[in-house]
Amino acid sequence: MESGAAALGGVPTEHEHHHEHHGPPEANQSSRVEAQFLGMLLFIISEVMLFGAFFTAYFFVRVVGDASWPAEGDHLPVAIAGVNTAILISSSFTMHWALEGARNENRAALRVGLLTTALLGLTFLIIQINEYVHIGFAPADHAQGTIFYGLTGLHGAHVFVGLTLLTFATIRAFRGHFTAKEHRGVEVPGIYWHFVDVMWIVVYATIYIL
Amino acid sequence: MTLGAKLRGPGWYRAALSQPISLAFSVGLVAAVRALYGYDPVLDGNAITTVALITMPIGFIVGIGCFDYWFRWASGAPTVPEDHSGHGAKTWRDYFKVNTDHKVIGIQYIVTTFIFFILGGLMAMVIRAELAQPGTQFVDPNTYNGLFSVHASLMIFLFIIPVFAGIANYVIPLMIGAPDMAFPRLNALSFWMLPTAGVMMVASFFADGGAFATGWTAYAPISTETPIGQQFFTIGVQFAGASSIATALNFLVTIITMRAPGMTFWRMPLLVWANFTTSLLVVIATPFIAGSQFFVLLDRSLGTHFFDPAAGGDVLMYQHVFWFYSHPAVYIMMLPGFGIVSEIVSTHARKPVFGYRMMAFSLVAIVILGFTVWAHHMFVSGMFDWMRVPMMITTMLIAVPTGIKIFSWLATLWKGVIHLTTPMLFALGFITMFTLGGISGIILAVIPVVIHVSDTYFIVAHIHYVLFGGSVFTIFAGLYHWFPKMTGRMYDEKLGKLHFWLSFVFFNLTFGPMHFVGVDGMPRRVADYADQFATWNAVISVSSFIFGLSFLVFLYNMITSWRQGPRAVANPWRAHSIEWQVSSPPPIFNFDEIPTVVGGPYEYGVPGAVHAVFGDKKAPVKPAPAGGGGAPPPTTE
Repeated sequence: MESGAAALGGVPTEHEHHHEHHGPPEANQSSRVEAQFLGMLLFIISEVMLFGAFFTAYFFVRVVGDASWPAEGDHLPVAIAGVNTAILISSSFTMHWALEGARNENRAALRVGLLTTALLGLTFLIIQINEYVHIGFAPADHAQGTIFYGLTGLHGAHVFVGLTLLTFATIRAFRGHFTAKEHRGVEVPGIYWHFVDVMWIVVYATIYIL
Repeated sequence: MTLGAKLRGPGWYRAALSQPISLAFSVGLVAAVRALYGYDPVLDGNAITTVALITMPIGFIVGIGCFDYWFRWASGAPTVPEDHSGHGAKTWRDYFKVNTDHKVIGIQYIVTTFIFFILGGLMAMVIRAELAQPGTQFVDPNTYNGLFSVHASLMIFLFIIPVFAGIANYVIPLMIGAPDMAFPRLNALSFWMLPTAGVMMVASFFADGGAFATGWTAYAPISTETPIGQQFFTIGVQFAGASSIATALNFLVTIITMRAPGMTFWRMPLLVWANFTTSLLVVIATPFIAGSQFFVLLDRSLGTHFFDPAAGGDVLMYQHVFWFYSHPAVYIMMLPGFGIVSEIVSTHARKPVFGYRMMAFSLVAIVILGFTVWAHHMFVSGMFDWMRVPMMITTMLIAVPTGIKIFSWLATLWKGVIHLTTPMLFALGFITMFTLGGISGIILAVIPVVIHVSDTYFIVAHIHYVLFGGSVFTIFAGLYHWFPKMTGRMYDEKLGKLHFWLSFVFFNLTFGPMHFVGVDGMPRRVADYADQFATWNAVISVSSFIFGLSFLVFLYNMITSWRQGPRAVANPWRAHSIEWQVSSPPPIFNFDEIPTVVGGPYEYGVPGAVHAVFGDKKAPVKPAPAGGGGAPPPTTE
């Protein structure tokens, strides 16, 4: 699907490329699981463990250290963060819509879906930053503040990474990439995006509600 | 090519250009943020160093060209999915470029890690020179603290962990019949992150206040209060860790999805099993050390309170998070060695591995138990009392799967036709030394004993018996074993044996006596010591120098043999596994055609037994048991 390789210079032309002795042999596919899917899954496992390290810190401060939560005099905007949660969760559905669009060759759904997802994610981040500005305590104030900013900030960084991946997918979608057969570039960032959403539900539950 | 084109294209010119740009960016960012917050002065050396430690390595990695393809891909520009322009090495220059060939990356890994091994070894020599007699000889206590800290960090994060990744990088795709790793570009990125971490740790000696001096464990709160050199460790570990996770992920995907037809899990060579289990450990555990170092970084640079009890933080939390990675990390540093030794013992004793399935199961058992023992490093830390006895019990339990492996190797040797080649000697040396190190590990699991010997040279002796007598011996064994495959030439057997006997004898003379002075109470990590330990320390220092010199024999052997050793045949050890069925060194894409696996990998002494066949894909695939018989292998397909 991607031609024009010669324009890049130094890369084999289409003809040379298919010459028998110049490429590697076709690898045997020894699992039904796709390599890209599996790779993203393993990456998510290690991401979950990174969150696990931050939750350990949370556990030590709040449970072992028996600190008041939130710190005395502080107030967590549970309702606003709840709305923000709804925004992020809804972006999982638009993500799925985009992927279905790619699968069914529905280019409009693919483009609008990706764009909406990215905008919803961006909205989430902006609301989160606005919350930081107005929340009234800083990471350096006390351990509760450290944990609050640590966990939400770590999650925010993941939203940012997810948004970056979505931006790539959006650019490529608007430049005519992705077909019903070949849409890993939407599918794999999509998995990551769902992970970011699910992780937020855990963070929201432990930080704001519990 | 004009200079402008060189600076725009991937490579060392652009990487060099990226450094001043990254530094300028760091200065600008720090100035902007500090001005925004109204700090005075706007330029702060420590803040700039911290930001530069993050931006400069990233600048280097981008400059050298790890991301060029992905940038093109991300922007939707034309890319060639099967572009092999960066694959394979024709001259030595290609080893200095971003390369997607697992064989090139494997050698890049091995050579790079050995450079850091030499640096770490030289630091050990300075440490022993300082400790040759009581009093202060060569270095002041602060430098001494920096020396042992950087020594340990280099040996662990820049040598043992990545050199196994290097050997596996070379061997695993060949062993399972794959043309390359699953993600060749990610593989290249994993490699190029590594030297940045090492350079950072070594560069910490030039930092204001000296190198990080908190040991490789970097316990809080000392690590949050020491001078800026600590940041070089805190951030360096992140790069080494990211490299480690990326390459482990790559191994797992490669082993799961790219095995040759007929290569069921129960027909995989044990090195593949070992790297499979190790990679699981890396993917699951490494994020915890990343977390612990993020906490230290944030406490140091943003004034957060993860470890500040006055503000509600918890100091012991550092040790829990750190050891939740770093205990599994000792298995990350050991399991690949187990795999190497299984290959070598079986091949050079011409016998099937005894208890093949139990060997694989014991690896899995070690992975699971490895997550349940972390707090045995914290018996004297003042942690929860109730955790002590469970941790002691699990620590002792983990000796069971390890013991299974030791006895299985011995049973493999039993009545075998033992060829005392250099790899075999190192494997046998490993079995004895690791058993001794394992036994002192069991001793250390006993709480009253560890309270007595905690932070003494007994610990130093134990760690070196398992990490040098254990891991490094397997690394040497593996390098001698696969040297013909990697270079296409034979090493000098006489020099190899000389290397083995020198290192075996003087390793024991160096680290054996440390048990004695340790039990007598000589504290570790101190530049000076009481006069009563003078005699043993003189012996240890002299032995350690000869031990260090023995490495030169290895180096000389490797370099001269690589340049002008006799040509190696494809299969000098008459081994059955697939990597020996292709030429030495293997062709650029490993195989013209993917082989078909028809039996177990260790059917030595079975007439006519083969592990894999080439060419005729329609050959009837006879089910053959792997290793030790039992039920016919279940297919995983």
